[in-house]
Amino acid sequence: MKSRLFSLTIYLAATLSGMLVLLYPFFLPAISQQAGFGTLGAGEMPMMMAFLLGLCLLVLLFEAQGLIVNTKLIALLGILVAINSALRFIETVIPGPGGFTPIFFLIILVGYVFGGRVGFLMGALTLLVSALVTGGVGPWLPAQMFTAGWVGMSTLILRPMVKTLSEKQVKWGKSAINPEIFVLAGFGLLWGFLYGAIMNLWQWPFITGPQNQSYATGSGFLATLQHYLAFYLVTSLVWDSLAAIGNVLLLLALGIPALRALRRFRQRFEFSYTPETDAVSHPQGENLAV
Amino acid sequence: MKQPWAWVGWLIVTLVILSITRNPLYLLLILMCVLFVGLALRQAGSDIPTPFSLWKMALWIILLATVFNAITSHYGETVLFTIPGNLPLISGPVTLEAMVYGATNGLVLTGMLASFTVLSLALPVRDLVSLIPRAFFPVAVVTSIAVTYLPTTLRQFKQIREAQAIRGHQMRTLRDWLPLWMPLLVGGLEHAMQLAEAMTARGFASTRQVTGVKQVYPRIIMTLGLVLLALGWIAQLGGAGVNGLAVILTGAFFILGGLWYLGRQSPRTIYHRAGWSWQDWLTLVIAMGVLAICVLPVPGYGREALYYTPYPSLTLPPFNPLLGMAMLGLTMPGILIINRKPDEN
Repeated sequence: MKSRLFSLTIYLAATLSGMLVLLYPFFLPAISQQAGFGTLGAGEMPMMMAFLLGLCLLVLLFEAQGLIVNTKLIALLGILVAINSALRFIETVIPGPGGFTPIFFLIILVGYVFGGRVGFLMGALTLLVSALVTGGVGPWLPAQMFTAGWVGMSTLILRPMVKTLSEKQVKWGKSAINPEIFVLAGFGLLWGFLYGAIMNLWQWPFITGPQNQSYATGSGFLATLQHYLAFYLVTSLVWDSLAAIGNVLLLLALGIPALRALRRFRQRFEFSYTPETDAVSHPQGENLAV
Repeated sequence: MKQPWAWVGWLIVTLVILSITRNPLYLLLILMCVLFVGLALRQAGSDIPTPFSLWKMALWIILLATVFNAITSHYGETVLFTIPGNLPLISGPVTLEAMVYGATNGLVLTGMLASFTVLSLALPVRDLVSLIPRAFFPVAVVTSIAVTYLPTTLRQFKQIREAQAIRGHQMRTLRDWLPLWMPLLVGGLEHAMQLAEAMTARGFASTRQVTGVKQVYPRIIMTLGLVLLALGWIAQLGGAGVNGLAVILTGAFFILGGLWYLGRQSPRTIYHRAGWSWQDWLTLVIAMGVLAICVLPVPGYGREALYYTPYPSLTLPPFNPLLGMAMLGLTMPGILIINRKPDEN
């Protein structure tokens, strides 16, 4: 229990620090009325953000990987990350419409079936591996890994929601609608927009444009939010809508069979090898018992 | 040059200089240096296929950045034409300054992309994976498996598609992806099962895990490091300047120190350790020298020329030949590759 609490503290500290780095335009007026970003110039800010987010990501990755120090999860994650990276590779060669990308479909399903921590690793490592093989490594990568990791991690909230909905469905009588897949599709829709909105924050303060859409030093939280929303509506809504619709369609069309397959394999993976303490009694390498 | 860390050092220096300058002349010079190293690597036989052409990509990036900035940023005194109407963000004067600034941003992005492409030409993926710190050995294993299995996955996808096509399968709706997607997923999961059994049979992760104080204290230090990072970031943004940066660096030191300590608990055996040759040292030292000249106030080099902006009225960007000469130091890996003896390949 103590260990889980400690782990949760580290997750929270790393996530909050990462969010503080990404969301600084919204709280900057509260801590400074000066123009600019302290001693840093606009050109140095992206590098500093990459450095800070990279450090937060390292801590999160270290905590999450503690779970997978067993062969089954390592092999499972390795193969699933390869499949997802292959999808991104195909998408790089044949780009989909707007912001459509097939990678979030599997990240959401894996996080939902195998748990938030596996989901986090799935999201972060998919972005890492696909960046390595498509030459997409850059200062933007820590932010992409951090956000994609959180897509997988946040699936934690879906299980209680699905459980509640299923219980209500039982209470109200039989229905042909599967609440689970609709909850997952809604989640995909939400992250389709959120992922784009978070990644925009990377560059928004440095883009010059109309006053009501640009970042202005000294504006309050609400005014900054208003400007950002105006900017998002004009520049990104259509692009991200295609990403969100893509997630929903993929989850609705392919989600149920994929969920079944993942659950079947989760059951098959639920066994453990226990090392024998007395190696002398099994001298010929039989020190692993199922 | 075989030492991955020397290449990483060269890459970091190139990225830092690319990110601090908006002077198109220096940006072009850095891009030329990076392309020279890339061409030297190609000539030496590092011909890793990439999913897209860098030249086409560069052209698109510069074009898009120019057009995007021109139609969204209406600052500058040299008005070329005006977009009429009340279209949000777009309507207003299109200025030459905004176009130049957009093209400059495109050059920065192209330079970054080219630098990473050069790194992937210079180092095989296994060397890149070997850069993952010891503390992250499970992540490194997952990454290795994924990178190794990726070509197999693509091959498998092609085979499944061909097999389904022979059976008359056609792609009309999204659900038609199901006969392609499910065999790929289930096949992959079966492969994961076999791989897990093979890894267990070879004793992977069978050593006793380090627990207790040795695991807890470094994690407490890392948490403290995170808190310092957050405080330092707030202080930096609040105008505390050097103090904020100092707190951030202390936090980074705590996090990296904690990870280093935890990494020491995971023994790593290396089949072939890449040594440091004089070429590696030379590349690293020269790269650091270039960085120092661009970042520190070295007399005579006039680093102010790096901070050029085309706004409000376009002027010729300043160029200090000494600073330009210093930047040519980034071509060092390419020069070493061209001049190496055939038996060093």
